Amino acid sequence: MAKMKIKAKAKGDIVKVKAMFTSLMADTEEAEKKKIKVEYITQIVAKHNGNVVFEVSTSGFMAENPLFKFQFKGGKKGEKIEFTTTDNNGKIETGKKKIK
Amino acid sequence: MDRRKFLGVGLAAFAALVAPVAELNAIDFRATKPKAWEAEKSAEAIKEMFGTAGLKKTDKIKFTAPKLAENGGSIPINIKSDLDLELIAVFQDANPRSLTAVFTVPKNGIVNYDFRIKMRQTAFVTVVAKARDGVLYSMAQEIDVSIGGCGG
Repeated sequence: MAKMKIKAKAKGDIVKVKAMFTSLMADTEEAEKKKIKVEYITQIVAKHNGNVVFEVSTSGFMAENPLFKFQFKGGKKGEKIEFTTTDNNGKIETGKKKIK
Repeated sequence: MDRRKFLGVGLAAFAALVAPVAELNAIDFRATKPKAWEAEKSAEAIKEMFGTAGLKKTDKIKFTAPKLAENGGSIPINIKSDLDLELIAVFQDANPRSLTAVFTVPKNGIVNYDFRIKMRQTAFVTVVAKARDGVLYSMAQEIDVSIGGCGG
């Protein structure tokens, strides 16, 4: 269900990445109020050539559909960047994108 | 067993399950610092996360956030630095629990993160960063929220 939108662009040695994840990011209190399930992403990891280039642990207080922007060194055009997200229910989602 | 404890146990069990599959570099802070995620106030959460070591003020880490946020449901924040940092944690006092995000900076990583948080009322946002040599830096900024997010 959850979808990821990933954009990665290489400029020289540096790759700029924008990633959006679909999640309600509803923590206990918010879920009760809206009468929905508690659901939020707890961890996002991005890998490039097997190396972790971005890693964040999050709570339900990130904004809905969290958007992250970051940069890393050493990526080239055509190579792939891989994302893995884990939510509080233990659901794991992955997404891949070629660097432009 | 009360509900809060039960949740904690569930998370720990889940972390144990996932651990063998997880990548070597990945650290799940929910498993290693469960108390930090439960603390209500920033000061407590920082203590749980980083211990009681003193926090240094610095201007080498740039933390950009709007002074006035019209929509508390989505407040853009940028953290930028040239220092060799290991961990960056974001705390706020507006929501039921303080800790919002913990970034693990890979070696030789570029510290330039953009993200968005939710705040249900006007409060201070505190960023605590740990350098690779163990020094802790902190910065705080008050953000005015006119319409609360977080279902408020």
